[in-house]
Amino acid sequence: MTKLSRRTLLGSLPTSFETGPEWLRALRGRAASTLREQGLPTKRTEAWRFTPIRSVANAEFSPEEGSAPSLTSPVPEGVTARSLRQVLQAEPTLLEGLLDLGGTPTHFAALNTALFSDGLWIDVPAGMAIEAPIELVHALPTSSERSVAYPRVLITVGDGAELTLVETYAGENAGQLTNSVVEVDLGRNAKMNHARVHENAGLQVGRVDVRQDADSNYRSTVVTLGGALLRFDVRCLLQGKGAECQLDGAYLIDGEDLVDHHTLVEHQASHCRSAQSYRGIVSGKGTAVFDGIVVVHRDAQKTEAHQENRNLLLSETATVHTKPHLEIDADDVVCSHGVTVGSLDEHQLFYLRARGIPEDLAHSMLTYAFLESIVERVSHEPTRARMREAVLTRIPHGDDVRGIA
Amino acid sequence: MLKIEDLHVEVDGKPILKGINLEVKAGQVHAIMGPNGSGKSTLAYVLAGRDGYEVTKGRVLYKGQDLLEMAPEIRAAEGLFLGFQYPVAIPGVSNIYFLKAALNAIRKHRGEDPLDAIDFMKLSKEKAALVQLPDELTKRSVNDGFSGGEKKRNEIFQMAVLEPSLAVLDETDSGLDIDALKVVAEGVNSLRGPKRAMLVITHYQRLLDYIVPDVVHVLIDGQIVRTGDKDLAKQLEEEGYAEVRDAQPL
Repeated sequence: MTKLSRRTLLGSLPTSFETGPEWLRALRGRAASTLREQGLPTKRTEAWRFTPIRSVANAEFSPEEGSAPSLTSPVPEGVTARSLRQVLQAEPTLLEGLLDLGGTPTHFAALNTALFSDGLWIDVPAGMAIEAPIELVHALPTSSERSVAYPRVLITVGDGAELTLVETYAGENAGQLTNSVVEVDLGRNAKMNHARVHENAGLQVGRVDVRQDADSNYRSTVVTLGGALLRFDVRCLLQGKGAECQLDGAYLIDGEDLVDHHTLVEHQASHCRSAQSYRGIVSGKGTAVFDGIVVVHRDAQKTEAHQENRNLLLSETATVHTKPHLEIDADDVVCSHGVTVGSLDEHQLFYLRARGIPEDLAHSMLTYAFLESIVERVSHEPTRARMREAVLTRIPHGDDVRGIA
Repeated sequence: MLKIEDLHVEVDGKPILKGINLEVKAGQVHAIMGPNGSGKSTLAYVLAGRDGYEVTKGRVLYKGQDLLEMAPEIRAAEGLFLGFQYPVAIPGVSNIYFLKAALNAIRKHRGEDPLDAIDFMKLSKEKAALVQLPDELTKRSVNDGFSGGEKKRNEIFQMAVLEPSLAVLDETDSGLDIDALKVVAEGVNSLRGPKRAMLVITHYQRLLDYIVPDVVHVLIDGQIVRTGDKDLAKQLEEEGYAEVRDAQPL
């Protein structure tokens, strides 16, 4: 592993791209020029209004070589999991058109596109249903170095195929930046369960871009457990008739951490269904940001779209900025959205205490229970257990609440 | 067991209870009947220690101790049980975990060792059978998606497991059909005993056909206006509250 000299994020963009296939050089070139034109987001950038990244933009990082995620589960027969770098060297045409699923990337995604050096491509061929999940861990080395990594993952799930993917983002060092891009391409009638656990103590900007063909089904559950500054975008493009996506998230924010979730669901075809439910607990001087957009295109009739963000504020110094919104251009749709920001429910608290449960334990039970309704949606039992455990270790009296669900 | 002396209670500055006097001895079942808005539920909540009820006068002695000084969980640990009129749902907390936590908190207060999982499951199965609460409901989140009858049965199931000395049952009959009412009443009756007292709060006489009280009080406008035996309940059913409303407070 070679350490290169430290540079700012924008300062590390090369003036030209000399290696790789022609289409990739062009893609990286477009990403770099977009980035040079627009710069990194500032407080005046609408989508970054509450997430100050000036210190990140001004900081100098050394690039972390070999930041490809590690596979921690066996790869089932028939599924291929290959290094992006190797495929780009040996059979680059296989990837053409698959590394910019979300269109021309902007901001941090553009930075990743311009600079990623390796990554992972998992391909599930048509008709293959994989029961055992594939597990990935993104872990930065525990060096004290201020470094930046650009993990890149591409998932292609063929027509009628099924995949469960569990991703864990871990890192101990608050000075390290992970700028990840995960792209998912779901064929007709394909199905994917995507669980992500963010236990990254440092800085992370992450993006998941999902493109869905007809009758495909994408379910994402993310559990975010703090981090100095974490920003996650999930974008689902429902391009085929009858596609469905369900985006769920749970976050637990403490100290001076800031966690920002952005979602975008674009209903481009008719008869699609989307539902989002994000829930979080914010205490200390923590800040939660939720921004969810559902766009219903003019031809996307018979759309059903729901969106919900609920927050528990456990201290007076905790902050929540939440903005769910709908942009609807079709007329035959069923859409809803809702937001709550509040404290623990007095009726529930009294019920527990009236049965003899001490007040502090009752608080912990209700705090945990608030997130459990998201965690319980994770279909893969070991992952669900791990998420529960991760939440329990981070709430007061968590040990006493074990087994609550 | 329970001695209420000249209890005055206000909610949001408005007087609700206006001088209640009541004594319940161990082994007795008292019924409190009254029309809507008479202060029945307020009395139940004040005894259990809910916030928002201001005692402006009077006192409540429970086993000789000042009940109103105790936190709700201490009251429960000392053997007081409130059967809620509207049991709240708590998604994400399983019924069985909740009840085990409650029982072990109470045991800890009494200086007893916690019940382990196996012994608790045995106890829980036995008590669930008492009120015919399906196994599946004991594992679900507390009251989440329960029907009205299931919620009430769940209250009595909890009472059976926690074995309180004083049970205050707030309109346990509301929302129950006759079959469910019988099941709930049987559960309650099986818990009657010389060391246990009960305060059964109800709007209708119907429940008292199945849980036969030793003493019946009529609560109107924050005061107990009549006290009698079980025949008073029958009289109320026939004549209505209007007759007794004009009676002089005792």
